[in-house]
This record gives sequence, structure tokens and C-alpha cells, in this order.
Amino acid sequence: MATNSFADPRRQNKILRYKPPSTETNPTLEDPTPDYMNLLGMIFSMCGLMLKLKWCAWIAVYCSFISFANSRSSEDTKQMMSSFMLSISAVVMSYLQNPQPMSPPW
Amino acid sequence: MRSAYLLLVPTLLLLLALPASRGRYNDDFDDGEDLADFDDNDFAEFEDMNDDLTAETETAPPPRVSSPSSQPEEDEDEATVELEDGQDGFEDSETQDQDMYSKYDQEEFEGIGDMEKTSHSMKDPLIIHTVPAHLQNSWESYYMEILMVTGLLSYIMNYIIGKNKNSRLAQAWFNSHRELLESNFALVGDDGTSKEPVSTGKLNQENEHIYNLWCSGRVCCEGMLIQLKFLKRQDLLNTVTRMMRPASDQVQIKVTLNDEDMDTFVFAVGSKKAMARLQKEMQDLSEFCNDKPKSGAKYGLPDSMAILSEMGEVTDGVMDNKMVHYITNHADKIESIHFSDQFSGPKIMQEEGQPLKLPETKKTLLFTFNVPGYGNTSPKDMDSLLPLTNMVIYSIDKVKKLRLNREGKQKADRNRARVEENFLKQTHAQRQEAAQTRREEKKRAEKERIMNEEDPERQRRLEEAAQRREQKKIEKKQMKMKQIKVKAM
Repeated sequence: MATNSFADPRRQNKILRYKPPSTETNPTLEDPTPDYMNLLGMIFSMCGLMLKLKWCAWIAVYCSFISFANSRSSEDTKQMMSSFMLSISAVVMSYLQNPQPMSPPW
Repeated sequence: MRSAYLLLVPTLLLLLALPASRGRYNDDFDDGEDLADFDDNDFAEFEDMNDDLTAETETAPPPRVSSPSSQPEEDEDEATVELEDGQDGFEDSETQDQDMYSKYDQEEFEGIGDMEKTSHSMKDPLIIHTVPAHLQNSWESYYMEILMVTGLLSYIMNYIIGKNKNSRLAQAWFNSHRELLESNFALVGDDGTSKEPVSTGKLNQENEHIYNLWCSGRVCCEGMLIQLKFLKRQDLLNTVTRMMRPASDQVQIKVTLNDEDMDTFVFAVGSKKAMARLQKEMQDLSEFCNDKPKSGAKYGLPDSMAILSEMGEVTDGVMDNKMVHYITNHADKIESIHFSDQFSGPKIMQEEGQPLKLPETKKTLLFTFNVPGYGNTSPKDMDSLLPLTNMVIYSIDKVKKLRLNREGKQKADRNRARVEENFLKQTHAQRQEAAQTRREEKKRAEKERIMNEEDPERQRRLEEAAQRREQKKIEKKQMKMKQIKVKAM
């Protein structure tokens, strides 16, 4: 099924290096999920810390997990870790201040 | 011995009255222990009573606190009563207490009802008040937290499983295609970071669900970028949404060509839905292929396929027997095939209206294939994509050979000129505005300079220079108008 069964189509001199496609020209191709989830996670964890709402803190933990799962490998891990730590600290602080178990909203 | 008993009862009452004062509590206990040393048997009942009473204290601290003041007052009275009636011993302490209390005047003793309550509660079932949940030592009250943690654990499990599955699929794809790629390309696998262009021979993982492979070094093309766009199996949310809306993994192959490798035409074929979507989204398809997608049945393709083309000649040229054969056999796996010399990606939505210059174009062949299985793919399914990759290689060679005849070429050139003109017209107004603003800026800057000039002499001179320049401009314009008029005549 090779196109040229006689001649080798490979050309060493025609090699072009890989250039990662720049995302500035087409921002629509980028998946915005990890950024949104990161932001949401931070907002929820701040809410949970300030307003002492346990469910906010738990949702923040979930958001940071989702953001991590969807992240690109080129994104630095520091941001990921910081949002993670923030959400976990929100949960821990909510429980230290008020050890009562969370009451369901229904 | 009786005095010992006397001491105990008030201490018990004190215990009830002041549960917070730990020091006194300890003292009371100490006394009790000392007394116990004397006579174990006699204190057996007391110990029971003691326990009951302390249990009461623990379970009902709030109500007890309300009547501390009245208690000490009664202690002495109680003590005296005990002295009189205590000869019976304490085997029958409960009945004895009852007799005691019934003798008393309600008015004389405040809060005696409370005492009755405590004694009654020894006989009646203990009134256990509800303890705040966090003081209970049961895990059941934390069920919401346990639910949350379980959810997190399941998310992590799903992440690991999904990541592994995607990785296995990618590896399977690469293993089945490795030979074909290595026989066709000098460079298979490059991540752009190494100094020497040496084949890495493996996929470049961009994400947990996207794998890239760059192949280069072949006749007829600059390079080929293969993107394995798998489903987000590592994300539980995505998995759940996919249960409602099934989607499949995609393999996207983008071949970039040199200028001499391809003649000027725009063409696309694929499933009807994909064609409709691409015609709206893609910059070049929307500009050059203005007709609605035609059914592929005319060219021997299955009915589910549609064709978008710049002109009929192009379709005839591309759809030769072999291509038709390929497409018909694998119609379920083909999402879209897009050949274009004006490829610039999807339409960019800009905020300030149209962009001021045409987007850069590149001669490209773009193939999008669906992996069979609708998400439930196994590594074996990757082998079925091999013929499609063969088709890609075949297309590259074919496009190099495909040349439009003279008529077609003229038409194509006209089309491109038309598109460019349209674009310039649309942006004309904007470009004029931009030029106008620039001119005004310059004038303003000059005026400011003149104003800021402190030396009056220099100021006057600069003003004159500006005026002269203005005059010149006006004269030039007049000359132009005259010329145009002469030409018109």
C-alpha cells in the first residue's frame, strides 16, 4: 500500500523541526476547563474560609481535583499545588473552627 | 459512720450544683474515696448512687446550672432529715427518700422539685438530652463527610484508570502505525526541544488525553502532525456527561505542504453534519465554497457523506477511484477530510470587527478520523485505523500530482482575488479611520510641542513652519483633484 514501492520517499534533508502551535492565534482551540476550575476552586475556598461554610470548602477541593485532571502538561505545577493546598486548608480550617458534621442542605 | 453519710449527700448535691468547678469536684471525690476505705459494703449503694448522679451531671449540664444557689440552702436541712430517718440503712434508699420528701412543705423549700426529679430519675429511665453532634463519639453523624471523601476517592480511582486506558490506547495506535510512519518519514517523533533533529520514536504527551506526533522528512510535504485526541477518561465529570452524550476518540492528522506541493484549490469531504459545521467554522471553506454541501452519492460515495468544493473540476480531480474506494470502505470512521491552499484555521471572532489584515494561510491537508467504538474502544480497534493512514499518505502524493487545467486555474485565481478584494473593502472604512486617528495624533503632538516651547521666538517659528506644511498639503490635494478631473475629461 506504500505509494512508491520503488523509491524511498524519505528525505533527510527535508526535515523540519516541530514547532508547538501558538495558542495566541487561535484561543478557541484551547480548552478553558482547567482555568475555570482553578478560579472556581479559589473562589469557593475563600468563601469557605471567610463565611465558614463547610460545603464551599468541599466543593473547592473537588474543583481543584478537576482542574488538575484536565490540566495541560505545559502548565506549571506550582499553580496547581497552590490551589490544592488552599482548598485543603479551607476544609481543615472549617472543621477546626466548627467540628460539627456538615448538615445536608435538604 | 452516719456522719460520713451526712458528708456524702451534701457533697453529691454540690457536685450537681457546680459541675464547672473542677477543684471542688476533685475534693469531693477525694473525700468519697477516703470514706470508702473505711467500709466498702456500706458504700456500695452510695457508689451506685454516685455513678447515677454523675451520669446525670454529664448528660444534663445546662438544666443543673440554673439552680445552684438554692441547693446549698437545702443541704443542711437534708442533712438533719437524714440524721433522723437514717437508721433504716441504705438498702432501701429510694423509698426512704420518697418518704422524706413527701413530708416537706412545698413553700418552705425552694427547688425541691428538682431534687425529686433526680431521685425519680434513678428509678425512671434516664432522661438523656441530645448531645451536640460533635461531642458524640459516633462516626454516623459524619455521614456527609464520609460521602465527600468517598467521592474524592472514586474521582482519584477514575483518574488513574482513565489515564492508564488512554495511555494504552495511544501506545497501541503507535505500535500499529510505527512501521508505516518510519518507512515514510525520516523523522518520526519530535518534541522540538532537543538540539539535533533525531527521532524520539515515541508520542509526545501533551495532556492526559491528547498525544502528539510530529513526522517530517519526506517528499511532497513539510511535515505531518498527528494528534490523538482521546476522550477525557481521566475526568469523572466528563465520563458522566459522556454517558448522556456519547462521543468518540478522534485522530487528527494535519499535513503541511510546501508551496510547490499543491495547486490552488479548496476541497472538503466528510459526514453531513461535519460538513455543515466546517462550512460555518472554517475561514477558507466559508469564503471559497459558497454552495451548500453536495451529497456524495454522485461520486459513488455513501449517502451519509457530503462534499464541499471550490469547483467541480477539483472534485473530479480528487475523487478518483482509489479515494472513493478508501472513503466508501471506511465511511463510518471518517469525520472530515479537508484539502486547502488557503487554510488558516477556524474563523477568529475579533472584538473590533474585522482584523486589519488577512490571516496567514498555509497549504494544508487536514484529516479527522473517529475511532470506532464510541468511547468503548479497546487497543485492538487502533489497527482498524491503519488503512486510513495509508489513505493519508496516498493523498499527499496525489495532491502533489493534481494540477488544475488552465480554466480551473483562472477561476481559482479570480476567486482568490475576489476574496482579497472583499476583505479590503470591508476593512477599508476601518483602515481609513485608523489612518485618520494617526494623523490627528501627529497634529496634536506637534501642537503640544509648540505650546510647550518656552522661547517665544521659537514658538513663532514653529507655528509658521506648521502653517506652511498645512498649506502644502492643501495644495497637493487640489492638484490631485485637478488631475483627476483632467483624466475624467
